[in-house]
Amino acid sequence: MSISTGPIASKPASSASHLTWSILSPAGWRNLRQILLAVVLPALVIVLWQWAGNGGSLFGGVLPTPDKVWQAWKVWAFGSSGLSLNPYSGTWLANLLFSAERVGKGFLAAILVAVPVGLAIGWNRIASGALDPTVQLLRPIPITAWLPFSIAVFGIRDMGAVFLIALGAFYPIVVNTAQGARDIERNLVRAAMMMGAGRWTILRRVVLPASLPSIFTGLRIGLGIAWTAVIVAEMVAVKSGLGYVLWDAYYVGRMDVVIADMATIGLLGLISDRVILLIERWVLAWRRLQSFQS
Amino acid sequence: MTMGTIAFENVSKTFSGQTEVRALEAINLAVGEGEFVALLGPSGCGKSTLLNLLAGFENTTEGTLLFDGKTVTRPGPDRGVVFQEAALFPWLNVWQNVIFGPQVQGAPRAEYEKKARNLLKLVGLESFAEALPVQLSGGMRQRVGIARVLAMSPRALLMDEPFGSLDAQTRLSMQQLLLDVWQSLGTTVLFVTHDIDEAILLSDRICVMSARPGKIIRTIPITLPRPRSIASLTTAEFVAYKARIMSDMKVSAAPV
Repeated sequence: MSISTGPIASKPASSASHLTWSILSPAGWRNLRQILLAVVLPALVIVLWQWAGNGGSLFGGVLPTPDKVWQAWKVWAFGSSGLSLNPYSGTWLANLLFSAERVGKGFLAAILVAVPVGLAIGWNRIASGALDPTVQLLRPIPITAWLPFSIAVFGIRDMGAVFLIALGAFYPIVVNTAQGARDIERNLVRAAMMMGAGRWTILRRVVLPASLPSIFTGLRIGLGIAWTAVIVAEMVAVKSGLGYVLWDAYYVGRMDVVIADMATIGLLGLISDRVILLIERWVLAWRRLQSFQS
Repeated sequence: MTMGTIAFENVSKTFSGQTEVRALEAINLAVGEGEFVALLGPSGCGKSTLLNLLAGFENTTEGTLLFDGKTVTRPGPDRGVVFQEAALFPWLNVWQNVIFGPQVQGAPRAEYEKKARNLLKLVGLESFAEALPVQLSGGMRQRVGIARVLAMSPRALLMDEPFGSLDAQTRLSMQQLLLDVWQSLGTTVLFVTHDIDEAILLSDRICVMSARPGKIIRTIPITLPRPRSIASLTTAEFVAYKARIMSDMKVSAAPV
């Protein structure tokens, strides 16, 4: 959008407007507008929430206002000056890292198992017959139903949380990977066979790259489930992390910490999803060109 | 050692399924070393199936199919297939697509890289080595499809309507390219097409096929002088061949 859009805009005027607007490129302006557009709704919610809560009567005073949440978050993150009996003071980063590490471990384990298994199911009839029914049988069991099992087997330790995360992320990755391998264009496989590629070479150099778009879909869904799983596991099966703080703060009536915790989880989920998206864009550059041109 | 002889002996192909389809019926076809044979027929006449059998993508139901005296059991780099839509790997660039064959076969790198460079020059794509298939036009993609097959030095080229989806002008330049390549290499070619002009221009012999079940109903030797070029398309001999084949195929203005 330019100011001087008139059909008879004189030369000096247009060059002047060019000067004033040259701080950002047209693409830069579009990005800025996108960002502004995106923050309108959250900002509105926060303002309304603050306004409604100022009387101190929001849900009978149970729900703290945004400024109280922000205060609690600051103390949680950076600690408070002077003596304090606040058990959460300054523990934000440590708990965040606990959760992130568990998600990282569980998610990685899920990828390492689910991608090969998914490729096998999608590519090989025997593997499909041997593995797919079991996967489909176990898949409807929600990860929450695995909690008692996990605690009984792994105890109140990290391993239990990592197990639940890996299990939760496993299913969407395996299902999407298998679908990608199944949908491969027949002539691509024929071309590889014609050029003398053996089964393993075809799997590695044709089926895997052709399945990558579906694999990334599975990774993004799986990562979302991994964050759900870590919170659930930490609420019950471990004594640290964002999920533990969430439940603990609720029990002692610290709703300000609860909300700050929720916001932290949301932020982490968003950031980790963006990271996957960035990797996807880089790995699947060929695909992006394809969809732009068709 | 540059053989590339093909022998179909009473080959039939039936696709099983809910309703059985007899795709090919008692095919007898012998192609000698360095010969260019076109399979001409309407769509659904089984000409692609015939090619797929020779490529090793599908198995014969009856009869014997020999390539250089050995029964065909599976695909291999001795029979280079050029697909209708090129079937390049979309995640590999032109260069990586061309060296894919020799690379997976474990050929010495210096050797195949030199060869690939020459082939890219031959098909006129040396400045597109870094391009992805999606960035190329249909004709350019098919040039890559030909180059990657030639990179394996196959004894026969199996081409399945390779220019069928190209516009008329691009098609002509691709036919010229193929003529030039074949006239310098002398590889055996089995070429599937539904285009009469293309079949006459390129081949030494045309096998006309009919549908349901697919059969070779007539074999027509084409004795137009070599080397040919797209200029041959307008000669009197060419037109005479065309008239004869059209009457053979019962192509007429009357509704079918």
